[in-house]
Amino acid sequence: MQLQPAMPRSWRVDTKPHKFCPGCGHGLILKCLGQAVDELGIEDRVVYGCDIGCSLLSWDFFNLDTVQTHHGRTTPVMTGIKRARPELICIAYMGDGGGYSIGVQHLVSSVHRNEKITVVLANNTQYAMTGGQMAPTTLPGQKTETTPYGRDPEVTGFPFQGPEMVSAIAREGAYVARGSISNMRQLTGYLKKALVNQIEGNGFSFVEALSACPTNWRTNASETWSFIDKEMHGHFKTGEFKTPGSGQGEVRADE
Amino acid sequence: MTLEFVGRTMDLEKGYWTVFPDLCKGCGLCIEKCPVDCIDWSDVLGAYGTPSVKADNRCIACGICQNICPDCALRLDKKKTKEH
Repeated sequence: MQLQPAMPRSWRVDTKPHKFCPGCGHGLILKCLGQAVDELGIEDRVVYGCDIGCSLLSWDFFNLDTVQTHHGRTTPVMTGIKRARPELICIAYMGDGGGYSIGVQHLVSSVHRNEKITVVLANNTQYAMTGGQMAPTTLPGQKTETTPYGRDPEVTGFPFQGPEMVSAIAREGAYVARGSISNMRQLTGYLKKALVNQIEGNGFSFVEALSACPTNWRTNASETWSFIDKEMHGHFKTGEFKTPGSGQGEVRADE
Repeated sequence: MTLEFVGRTMDLEKGYWTVFPDLCKGCGLCIEKCPVDCIDWSDVLGAYGTPSVKADNRCIACGICQNICPDCALRLDKKKTKEH
């Protein structure tokens, strides 16, 4: 047998090359997720749920049990699986359209109930599968199909800050972080911590990953990297927003 | 269904650099991330009929290209250095 690609063990080899566009950030986020699953050795216990949008193209991506649902419903479906079989490790994977726009109520409710699941959200600043329309995370001045002159914050608001919102309403034990595909080692670490948080049963785990969409941004490779590193990092701060044991921060309850 | 991929291995000074044209989609992310600019387009076509990549002897075997490839189309195996 010849030298084979260095794929994570949890990747399904017979479905590669995967269905994402050239240069898509989903491949990189799922590579980090696969490495995190490999390092923890939990392939036989993971249930992977993908949402609608480009993220559904990962339905045959992993050698893991996979469910595909619609419009942010991945979070409640994973919640149900976790409640029925608490020994399983449930990962809900979605895009910013499913998680922050049409399915934000499920995300908010799950955080509010402190469900012991892991949510991984890919933020590529637009609805990529339908052709690049404006999403809640679109940057001010960014041109999309529905904002041809650039997004006007006076009319449509500023980019949606997901991890900030989740950390504001999350209870003690939650893990909230934002990583980026331009720093994959950090992103793998966040995903691993989020999975460990679920395994330990502390509470809700949420990781947003800044992703790339060269097809709808209409960027070449160098413009893609500069858009992520300069434009996106200017609006979305990476880092850990809430870790178990850090308390409630500024909104600590009187005890 | 492809279970076995055929790689193009380049025997460079610091390591064995392998590209799998069946996986390479020609996005060019590795070309931008290479710290010594040793990766360039090659004549071998990739998965979507776009050019795949190649490397030359300026490669320092850092492994960033293998890490950054969304399709795992690159693999780098460092050569063992001689013991002094």
